[in-house]
Amino acid sequence: MTSVPQSRPVKSSARSRAVTGRVIGGRNPLLHWVRSTGWRHLVAWIALVFALFPVVWVISASFNPLQTLTSQQLIPSTFTFDNYTELLFGDVPYVDWYINTLLIAGGASLLITFLSALAAYAFSRMRFKGRRVGLLTVLLIQMFPQTLAFVAIFLIMVQISDVFPAAGLGTRLGLFLVYLGGALGVNTWLMKGFFDTIPRELDESAWVDGASHNQVFFRIILPLVAPILAVVFVLSFIFLINDFVLASAVLGQGDPANFTLSIGLFQYLGDQFNQRWGPFAAGALMAGVPVVIIFLFLQKYIVSGLTQGAVKG
Amino acid sequence: MNEKEAPEKAGTGSSGSPSTGRREAESSRRPSFTLGLVLKLLFLAAVNGLLLAGLPAMLEQEWWSGLVVVVIATALIDWAFLTKRSLPAKYLIPGTIFALLFQIVPILYSGYVSVTNFSISHRLTQDQVIDQLSRRTSNVQGATRYQLTILGNESGDLAFFLIDEADMPYLGTAEGLEGLTEDRIITDADGRVTAVDEFAALGIGEVSDRQAELADFAVPLEQGGIRATTINSAAAYQPLYIHEDSTGNMVDIETGTVYMPVDGRFTSSDGENLGPGWRVFVGLDNFSRVFTSEAIRGPFMRVLIWNYVFAIGSVALTFAVGLGLALALNHPGMRGQKVYRALLIIPYALPSFMTALLWAGMLNQQFGVINDILNADIPWLRDPTIAKASILLVNTWLGFPYMFLISTGALQAIPGELKEASWVDGASPWQGFRAITFPMLMVALAPLLIASFAFNFNNFNIVYLLTQGRPAIEGAATPAGHTDILISYTYRLAFESGSGADWGFASAISILIFVMVATISAISFRQTRALEEVWN
Repeated sequence: MTSVPQSRPVKSSARSRAVTGRVIGGRNPLLHWVRSTGWRHLVAWIALVFALFPVVWVISASFNPLQTLTSQQLIPSTFTFDNYTELLFGDVPYVDWYINTLLIAGGASLLITFLSALAAYAFSRMRFKGRRVGLLTVLLIQMFPQTLAFVAIFLIMVQISDVFPAAGLGTRLGLFLVYLGGALGVNTWLMKGFFDTIPRELDESAWVDGASHNQVFFRIILPLVAPILAVVFVLSFIFLINDFVLASAVLGQGDPANFTLSIGLFQYLGDQFNQRWGPFAAGALMAGVPVVIIFLFLQKYIVSGLTQGAVKG
Repeated sequence: MNEKEAPEKAGTGSSGSPSTGRREAESSRRPSFTLGLVLKLLFLAAVNGLLLAGLPAMLEQEWWSGLVVVVIATALIDWAFLTKRSLPAKYLIPGTIFALLFQIVPILYSGYVSVTNFSISHRLTQDQVIDQLSRRTSNVQGATRYQLTILGNESGDLAFFLIDEADMPYLGTAEGLEGLTEDRIITDADGRVTAVDEFAALGIGEVSDRQAELADFAVPLEQGGIRATTINSAAAYQPLYIHEDSTGNMVDIETGTVYMPVDGRFTSSDGENLGPGWRVFVGLDNFSRVFTSEAIRGPFMRVLIWNYVFAIGSVALTFAVGLGLALALNHPGMRGQKVYRALLIIPYALPSFMTALLWAGMLNQQFGVINDILNADIPWLRDPTIAKASILLVNTWLGFPYMFLISTGALQAIPGELKEASWVDGASPWQGFRAITFPMLMVALAPLLIASFAFNFNNFNIVYLLTQGRPAIEGAATPAGHTDILISYTYRLAFESGSGADWGFASAISILIFVMVATISAISFRQTRALEEVWN
């Protein structure tokens, strides 16, 4: 790139002007617009069609009066809420699944966030014997994802059923507790990183004023790290509602009313795509839309969390 | 803060010496001191009570490993919250307990199960099997049949009033059978027996209430016993097998056939089995089966190769599409970028279990909209090759927004001067991208791409919810499909009916996955600063 051809500088300066969006020379502005930004819109539109076609289609299916896949039109000829009422008031325990998912995934995410914050506080603020071993353990735990041990978790739950039937196989409490097992790991690292950015002078001045450890943690640190708490909560929540393997291992052979949405909708759809498509679409939307809204609102935080932890991707 | 200071301040306040600056805080702390202590004790009592409530059942079932884990967990909690010397422990123990119970123990247990023959047909212990077989009985041929009246006394014991074929009356209790004299029998006006000694006849209602109890009740004889066959008849029975304590064999009482314990099953010399089997240690058999048995190795290798192709392909495709879009849309003069971004993120924001099922419907060969639009009959999820392509397509749809987001972020972090400089030096856009933009992007994104690879390596949802691993590989000894990845293969081994739910073998496969995932993680940690943080 040392020997520069004579014509290049001229060309490149034109290009750099184009980059900043100014019109060159006035000759054929349309062609220029197409070459500088027009094609970008075209690419964006193609991507949008690819990205949104299935979404539009599922919305349409949910309002289509005929509950079948075959006869579906993109724009339904008549518009109906039948699929929704079928699911909400019919024989399918969809509402149970919905509530179970909110309680199990939501409750576990709350506790995971709290447990993780406790651990991160200790790792970030205290120097103690075994700290390095502890940090290394958290790192190692990350290397062996809990999900992969689902066979063992299933077998352990079988045994727990004999000893603590209330938290054994097929119980929602059992799944909730299993989820808490994943509290330490990526989350702890993410939080510790954030805790480290809070100046220590803040806690130290609280010390001087006579605050206890618990007071420093609850009244000083937690409010300051609220953004990372939100990130960990939302990431855990999204991760847990998507969980199929553990939910199926713990609840799969039990009472369908105890199912979560993921295993519930999977079993509901079964092989009956054709007959149950409309209600499924309605159920999928009712489950998916709140998640999308949360995601879009917290997008900035979630992405920053993801790039540090990469839990979903 | 240093270590010395910590314990003092950690306390519930009793040792805190109020000094001049602290007076205010001290006074606000005092009311919560007693309340806090009460709450703490209540909490500890509840936790201890809950955990230890399971001990008797664990003892009874001789579940020693569970017992040890529960005792350790309880001790850790008490230690952390009752001593003042362990401030960091208070913050670390709660999460650690759960990680111990539901992550570390399951992983270790996977290792244990993987060296056993634990499966649905080998899920008991040997003692349980012996117990079960010893209870198997046959009605003795030509054995005495009795007319039966079911009796019960005030302390809830059952007894049988029996009349044999020679009209001799007997009383049968849990202790044994005894002949009766007329004076002990009380009858009503119709001649029906109402009581014998302290035992009174049970009404129909009472009998049906105590069915389960009755099913277990037998009057012991020298060999076998007498059981109720209906509500008003009983018969003598005899055990089928007897366990010889000296040899450990089971012997068929009638034929004299000897069944020896072989590989977790009682087996006779001509190879006949007595079910069920029990758990035995099989060493590395489950692992060696993967490599020695042709009917397992072939399909396993296919699953393994597809697992890597799937994970690498997913990362490559999502990254290519995401980066391409990011490059196209990252233009200062372009309008509507925010709207585009918000809409393009939607596939990623939807729960993946849902989108996988949604695509499964759309790609359905008979009814799916894709074939409908194309007016074709393409087996999207049924043909081995097309199904793989479909899975990659769906995963690209699902994952490109993430790559788009992180690529956009990374692109915007590259200083504009660098691009300008490359233009000034006469580089074409392509040269500029290849020599400057792309390398800089990779520095920022490489760890994320590795993480994405690790995630996709075990992306169970997309595979299982789209195809359940199907179509099946022909001639496979285990349930393996063309689109199965290791984790979905493991899942099917463990839970799909028909395969015999081979948990030992499934655990062996999950141990292999652990090894692979740990390797990937180790590589990715070298890329990040995580390890440095441990040592600093």
